[in-house]
Amino acid sequence: MREEPLIRWDWIGRNWPGIQALLEDHVVMALVPVVVGLLIALPLGLAGVRWRRLYQPTVGAVNVIYSLPSLAVFIVLIPVTGLATRTTVMVPLTFYAMAVLIPAVVDGLTSVPDHVRQSAVAMGFTPLRRLLRVELPIAVPVVLAGLRVAAVSSISLVSVGALVGRGGLGYLFIDGWQRQFYTPIIVGIVLVVILAGIVDALLVLAQRLLTPWARARGTS
Amino acid sequence: MITFDGVTKRYPDGTVAVDNLRLEVPTGEITVLVGPSGCGKTTSLRMINRMIDATEGRILLDGVDVKTIDPPTLRRGIGYVIQQAGLFPHRKIVDNVATVPYLLGWDRRKARGRAMELLERVGLDPGMAGRYPFQLSGGQQQRVGVARALAADPPVLLMDEPFSAVDPVVRASLQEELLRLQAELNKTIVFVTHDIDEAVKLGDRVAVLRVGGHLAQLADPPTLLARPADDFVAEFLGRDRGIRRLSFVSDEGLRLRADLTVPVSTDVSALRGTAEPWLAVVDADDRPLGWVAVGDLPESGTLAGIRLAPYGSFVSGRDSLRGALDATLLSPSGGAIAVDDSGRVRGVATREALDEALDRVAGGARA
Repeated sequence: MREEPLIRWDWIGRNWPGIQALLEDHVVMALVPVVVGLLIALPLGLAGVRWRRLYQPTVGAVNVIYSLPSLAVFIVLIPVTGLATRTTVMVPLTFYAMAVLIPAVVDGLTSVPDHVRQSAVAMGFTPLRRLLRVELPIAVPVVLAGLRVAAVSSISLVSVGALVGRGGLGYLFIDGWQRQFYTPIIVGIVLVVILAGIVDALLVLAQRLLTPWARARGTS
Repeated sequence: MITFDGVTKRYPDGTVAVDNLRLEVPTGEITVLVGPSGCGKTTSLRMINRMIDATEGRILLDGVDVKTIDPPTLRRGIGYVIQQAGLFPHRKIVDNVATVPYLLGWDRRKARGRAMELLERVGLDPGMAGRYPFQLSGGQQQRVGVARALAADPPVLLMDEPFSAVDPVVRASLQEELLRLQAELNKTIVFVTHDIDEAVKLGDRVAVLRVGGHLAQLADPPTLLARPADDFVAEFLGRDRGIRRLSFVSDEGLRLRADLTVPVSTDVSALRGTAEPWLAVVDADDRPLGWVAVGDLPESGTLAGIRLAPYGSFVSGRDSLRGALDATLLSPSGGAIAVDDSGRVRGVATREALDEALDRVAGGARA
């Protein structure tokens, strides 16, 4: 009897349409929470900088959520958002993204040197214009660094959703494990790693394009 | 003209940063606010453009109370140069300079054109326009800061310790540059510094503030150095006041002797019997070479083969009495060689001539 090979390439070929669908599902479930998390983290971060006393409680609350095991959160959410739905997976991932991004926004805004802020005031910027034209652009490198961490960890965490029936490429791990058949597991791991690599590379590229002025400061 | 009319700044915790300040900043002059930290000089400056609002009293800008003007509008009409330049790191140099024109709604082309003009004006290579601030040295950044403050051609310029973060050589050149620009532009400048030498060098008038925000003395630099109002001001001015004051005394009254110079081609035999112990040797272009002691002349030959003693020179009509005094201390003969702008010798100021001039200065201080 011939030994079972580590990878059966023909399986990949036959199941490619299914793998592709899982990949798409994975991308959506991983990245929508990051985008939504960023949209929520921006105003919360701004509030945290404006009213310093608000910052610690906000970060504390988000960190508590971050510390909850993802699987437990998925299970708790099932009665509310349903079994095997995208929402069940994306809601906790949004909080995880926020846990990384709120401090990133706050750190980014506080990284604006005081003499730069003062000179913006002295030049006659109105507060809103100063925020949009000076403070937020200067915060971009720090926020993007946070975004890279949030995106990669989100891509990795989606897989856990497979245990509640919706895990994108994570399904391949469950499938392979149940059948003691390694090909899907390897395909899943490789695709998750490639996906994370591509998203990270795109964010680095975005950083290069958006902040050419920051290259020499070692913020990449 | 900027008028501080009984201005007080008191913080909620009771600290008084500026106490009933009365001060007039004349149009077209540099007024320096100087004092130790905690004397309220920066607070006073920032009350002019309302980065800080006064608790009591009024600040008038050409007769208009600044409190009646909306802060962003007020600030766009007043140039501001901050310590460490405060350039926007994410904007190119040209756009940094064009900041206020953009805020005033100028079109991009006109604003950038104006920015390029100013870069040149402050002595920067226009090729730097497309760079980012981190690519410039501290001194260059500070020049950009000055260009940015001038971009919308404001009549008033506020400068908050603008040169304190650069090394002494660069600082000196930035100070020269500011004086040169001011000679062309005649802005009303309020300049804050903790460095009394900088204050004395730049100020048409110097306001010395003491801790707690009291005005200790307001005077032009020579008066300040000659007649400090009290012990605090005298101590703050530091040592060597008398010598430093000489920087403000022109060398015009200094008697020069033209009979103490000899060309280097002179034969030593011609000099025997000269009554003067020292002679200044000059080359064919009348430039100074050094001193020769008449008593030590060799038997024969010209002056060309002789080792000359060192000399000190000053630019007549341009340097001050301080320069002349410095020059006499550099030569064993005690004479200071006066040269013209192109370095040609105009004459020699002897110790006796300097003594006469110094006597007049000391007499002036007494008056």
